[in-house]
Formats: sequence, C-alpha cells, structure tokens
Amino acid sequence: MPTLANLRLPTRRYALGAGITAEALKYFKYWIAAALVLAFAFPFAVSQWNDITISAWYYAANGGKWFTAFVGGGFLFVLVPNMVATGLTRRELAVSMGIFGVLWSLAIGAIAFAGLLAERAYYGAMGWSHGIDANDAIAPIGSAAETAAFGAHYPLVYLVYFTAGALIGVASYRWEGAGWLLLVPVLPVVFSLDNALYDTEPVGPGWAGFLGGAIGDWGRGLIVALLLVTVAGLAAAAYRILIDIPLRAKKA
Amino acid sequence: MSFTVNLRSVTLEYGAEPALADVDLDLEAGKIYGLLGRNGAGKTSLLSLLAAFRKPTSGEVLVGGEPVWENAPIVSRVALIREGGDFDDTETVKGTIESGQIRPSFDTDYAFALADRFEVPLKKRVNALSRGKRSVLAALCGLAARAELTMFDEVHLGMDAPTRDAFYKELLAEYMDRPHTVILSTHLIDEVANYLEEVVIVDKGRILRHADIETFQGMGATLTGPAAAVDALGLEPLAEQRLGGTKSITVAALDAAARERAAAAGIEVGPVGLQDLFIHLTAPQDRNGA
Repeated sequence: MPTLANLRLPTRRYALGAGITAEALKYFKYWIAAALVLAFAFPFAVSQWNDITISAWYYAANGGKWFTAFVGGGFLFVLVPNMVATGLTRRELAVSMGIFGVLWSLAIGAIAFAGLLAERAYYGAMGWSHGIDANDAIAPIGSAAETAAFGAHYPLVYLVYFTAGALIGVASYRWEGAGWLLLVPVLPVVFSLDNALYDTEPVGPGWAGFLGGAIGDWGRGLIVALLLVTVAGLAAAAYRILIDIPLRAKKA
Repeated sequence: MSFTVNLRSVTLEYGAEPALADVDLDLEAGKIYGLLGRNGAGKTSLLSLLAAFRKPTSGEVLVGGEPVWENAPIVSRVALIREGGDFDDTETVKGTIESGQIRPSFDTDYAFALADRFEVPLKKRVNALSRGKRSVLAALCGLAARAELTMFDEVHLGMDAPTRDAFYKELLAEYMDRPHTVILSTHLIDEVANYLEEVVIVDKGRILRHADIETFQGMGATLTGPAAAVDALGLEPLAEQRLGGTKSITVAALDAAARERAAAAGIEVGPVGLQDLFIHLTAPQDRNGA
C-alpha cells in the first residue's frame, strides 16, 4: 500500500483509513466499471424487443448495498489479525475502519448518484421511462430534482450497509461459526429502513424489511434520522466487539 | 532502546481452562531468550500476551515498563511472528511486505533485500507460496520490523535446514547491529541453543525454570559408571538407564562436592544438552529413561 510509506504514529490510523479506501477502490475498479457498462448496455439490448420502463442502474446501485456490506465485513474480518499483528491497536483499527466506511460510502454513493443522473439523461435521450419497481407497481422516479433527491440518500444507505457488514464481520471473527447469527437482528432493521426510505423492497430477502411499510409514512426526515441512529448503534456494537477481541490461535 | 518484559501475577484462561496460571516473569532488555515448553505448555499464550494479541484474564503485562494492551507507542515496536505469519492470503508478497510499513520503524528496503536473498517471489500471492517460503516471508517481516521486542513463535517450521541456519545467522547479525530483546520459541532446541543468552521453560501454564544459559549448561550432568558406585552417590536422578552392571543417571544439578566424590569413584561426568535437560525437566514422572 503506497500510502503507508512514511507513516507517523500519531496519525497513522487516519492515513490507514484513507489508504484502505484508495486501495479498495483500485482493487474493485473493474467490478465498478463492469456494473456501469452492464447497467447501460443491458437496457439497450432489451430495448430491441421490449419497452424500457425501469431503471437498470437502480438494481446496480442496490447490488452495491450488498457489495458494500461484504466489503465492510470482509475487510474487517481479514484486517483484525493482520493489523493487530502488525502493531496496530484495536482502537486505531476502529478509527481506520470508520474512516474507510465513510469514505467508501461517499465514493460509491457518489458513483451511484452520478450514475442515476446519467441514466436519467440516457433514458430521456432514448425516449424510455425512468422508473422503479415500487412495491409491485412501476413508478417513475420523477423530475431531475426528484431523481437527484432520490439518489442523494445513497451514501447514507451505503454507510448503513457498510456498518452492518462490519458488525457481522467482526462478530464472525470473534465468535467463529456463530457471529453471523447477528444477521438475525441486524437484517430486519437495515432492510426495513431501506424499504421505508425508497418505498420498495431491497434486493435480497425483501420480507426481512417487513417493518418498512409501517415506518414508511413517518416522513423522509425521520427515516434519515433513524438511519443515522442505526449507523451509530451498529458502529458502537462493532466497536465494542472489536476493542478487546483476541487474535485466534494459529491452526496447523 | 530495547524493551524489558514484566509479568505480574498473570493468568490467562480460555473458558474455564487456565493456559497460564499466576505467572511472574522478568526479562531484561537487550538479550536473546529461548522460550521452551512442551505442546500446550503455554508458550504461545505467553507470547500472545506480550504482543497484546490477547488480554490477560488477570494480572499485569508490562513491556518497556508500560502496560502493553492498547498502547500504540509500545505495540508498534513489538513484533510477534507466528508460524506462517498473520497475512492476508490473497495479497501479494510485495503488498504484504509493504503493509509492514504500518510500523513507523519498518525497514522496507531491508525486507525487500531479505526477500531477494531468500528467493521469495514478490509477485506471487501469499496463498500460492510453499510452506517454507511462507515461513521465510513471516521471518523476514519480523526482522524488518526493527522492533524493540521481537518474538518468533515456531516461525522456522517449514524452512529447510540451510534456510533455518541462514535465518538464525541473519537474526544474530540484526541483533548485533541493533541490540534489542528477542524471544525465540521453538522445539528445535539444540539448533538455537548457541544463540540464547537466557532460557525460560514453561510447563503446564507456569514458569518452570528461568536462568541464563550458563546456569542451564552447568545445571545438569550425566553420570555413568558402576551401578553400585552411582547409587552410592545418593543423587536424585531425573532419568536413569542401566546396561548390565553399568548405570547412567541424569541429574538436574551436581554440586562441587558430589562432582569430586563421583570422580573419586571413577564415575564419568558429562554435560547434558539443553534439549535433554528440557526433556527431563518437563517429564519428571519419566524416571526410568527410555
């Protein structure tokens, strides 16, 4: 990781967080490029024999939520032994992961946001309808401003998924074989808030967002506030599990 | 500056099982220590506490006079290299070496020079390395850490004999160039015996013996002679062997008076190798020899 050269002890946790983000984006650049190409090429191919009424990018961006959760969980799962063995404290690792989570979510959120606006222009140019599957009915996303408002929440939603993934990842390292069970309380909370924010079922086991319908009428401001509280709660839980985590014994 | 190590009434439990029980240990700075113990004796647990890989159940672990747990200025200068290393297996060797730069003291040029010397291919992924090359990668990362307390826990497993020899020599050269505290945990005792200044023997979660190497070398003796003459010395044997009328016993200590009586009785007195002494010390129930 070139960004690690000449690290200084008091600030290394910040540099490490930024460095991991840069390396992760570099590592996954072809995945992101493939999602972009597919999301734009696929509707064009389908348009040859069918009307296009639904946003392909919406599905790519939704897939990005799961991807982000796996990045949060996978990276932390791998980095715990790696970084602690390299002389990093758990507190420093927590800060680095926090920075990574925020920067990653902002970067992927910005790509999702820009992709949605670009897709709107693309669909407009092609004469297609730019809509989403909103609880079994295709609903147009709306004007440019409404599309921007729709996409503006992506960074925050990605951050929720990242933090949820990090919690599951660190729990899976600590309680080998049982840590993933934290999915049971975490998934319904995250899916319900996602469902409530977008008035649509998230990609995956949509039934897990069963509370989304009930809280969907509370207003977007309150749901955003709940998302922020959820990020804080998930981060606090992950921190608590991480802060005194023992490194596993090596196995032959 | 190299680090001292102090353990005060340290207990580490895995569930209800104590891996270390009420351990007190003081290691001076700037020496090479051998940490010996049978499988499951608690060596790795002890090293894990010194590197803050684990938190003790009770007691105090001080490195450089300070608590090591979550102490960035200390843990950044402590390196525990476990067998096979703690690597991201999907990373390349080059990336793995570079990740060592998290330690401000890490010497990247030295690490790459060692990788070149030990023929570890930089472009290969860690999971594609042979066990021996992976061990070398772990060892070179430990050497290049330029830590004040460096611990190698069975890191040589998988290395062939010439590589192990080269590793020990490099370790000694690095130590001579930059005095620091080194702890070698190994089962290949005779291989490293010449490099050690002090030896700590752990047994069943406790410190069985801690002394300098000269004390260990003078501690044991093998006495071989007529069975009656050997028995007449009245020594407490750690182990004994009998062949016809000749008897050989191993003792943990032989004072000057006993040595004189043995010589006068025509009994041959020989040294006990560190490995043999270790075997006898950690298997006290085996008094009849093999």
